[in-house]
Amino acid sequence: MNLARQSGLIAAKDLRIEVRGRYALGAVLPFAATVLLAFGLSLGPDRTLLQRTAPGLLWLAVLFASILSFRRAYESEGEDGALEGLLLAPIDKAAVFLGKAVAVLAQLLVFEAAVLLLVTGLFGLSLGASPLTLAAAFVLGSAGLAAVGSMFGLLAESPRAREAIFPLLVLPLTTPALIAGVKATSLAAAGRGASAGGWLGLLLAFDVVLVAAGTLVFGQLLED
Amino acid sequence: MASRTTDAPSIASHPDGVAPEPAIALSGLTRVFGVVPAVVRVDLRIEQGEVVLLRGPNGAGKSTLLRVVVTALSPTYGGGSVLGFDLVRERDQIRRRTEILGHRTRLYEDLTGRENLRFTCSIHGIDLRGVDETLERVGLGDAARERVRAYSHGMRQRVAVARAILRQPDVLLLDEPYAGLDAEGKDLIDSVIVDAAREDRTVVLATHDAARGSMAGRTLFMDGGRLLPVLDGPARAGEGRA
Repeated sequence: MNLARQSGLIAAKDLRIEVRGRYALGAVLPFAATVLLAFGLSLGPDRTLLQRTAPGLLWLAVLFASILSFRRAYESEGEDGALEGLLLAPIDKAAVFLGKAVAVLAQLLVFEAAVLLLVTGLFGLSLGASPLTLAAAFVLGSAGLAAVGSMFGLLAESPRAREAIFPLLVLPLTTPALIAGVKATSLAAAGRGASAGGWLGLLLAFDVVLVAAGTLVFGQLLED
Repeated sequence: MASRTTDAPSIASHPDGVAPEPAIALSGLTRVFGVVPAVVRVDLRIEQGEVVLLRGPNGAGKSTLLRVVVTALSPTYGGGSVLGFDLVRERDQIRRRTEILGHRTRLYEDLTGRENLRFTCSIHGIDLRGVDETLERVGLGDAARERVRAYSHGMRQRVAVARAILRQPDVLLLDEPYAGLDAEGKDLIDSVIVDAAREDRTVVLATHDAARGSMAGRTLFMDGGRLLPVLDGPARAGEGRA
């Protein structure tokens, strides 16, 4: 069984659990909606200000939601010691990282589609100006976030690490993706998608580095 | 081909000239958590096909020892081998051939019993066709399509037993497998042990249940992380007692 098949099995299992638990819909989406609504109300009725801040707020909501998703991705492994089952399985441990990253990416993309609609309604963000750039920014940015979360979500298994170390490690690491995502989204919303190439390139480089690092070191992180 | 550990005890000769690797061979094995030693300088040799009973009070180090053997934990000092494969360098080979039934059942709460077993079979490369039959054997035919979250502890334990049956490991480690099971469930565990012994597979059973474990060829005692002197000699499983 090759790495792709092993990763696919783990991703399918995680997505099935997510669909059953309805965690994204039941907890993450309302959380993001509340954050966006609170920011929208605090910024006031200035439409220009709302449109300018929308990309940043959108990505902030995505980041907060993704942290909840990362934790959830490993919660199901910790409930009854299932992670040990993966550790003891005769599979490439990188498959656990890749499978989880794919599952988190799929969840984030669904979540982002819903949040984008919310931001369009609340903040008047334009989606139609450069749709391909916008889509690329979210796919690439989410892939990077998913890779970070799948690598360090393992720490969320331990309650002490979950509260202290996990945010300290994950938030700084996601900063490049967050900045590039906001910039690319701003340019796309302003109809200047052609100028976003550099930021999309940065997102792609971030993805390549994080996925490569996760594939290489995850096995060591998972072991005793 | 397995590379044998240098610190594993020497192995007995065999009639056909090929020395069989011991199922478990530990030498000076120590496992420390922080500064607390859980297993201290354990030397142990268990031959293939043996059924061994491991007894000892709570906190004696039995669970830690079994988890080191199955490579869920690394030894802090010392070393050993399982079926000739080194505990540290050849973990994957050991993991392919061992299964532990422990305190935690390693199930996904939001998957059904059947889905849990199908996932296990998939990642272990086991034919999925045996899943339904095995669930029937462990008495979960009717509950197979219910989520594990709704299962009692005994039902979860039965799914874990089904996993052990499907995997057919060369070395089966059972850590308090009777806990939370009714009489029928306990008999099921015994039948798994007897079947394993009949097929010349190795079983190590750690239990406080004094009424169980009669099929074991010998009994080991642990206390304070140390293995105490053996009281009775080794006997091959399936020869009389099993």
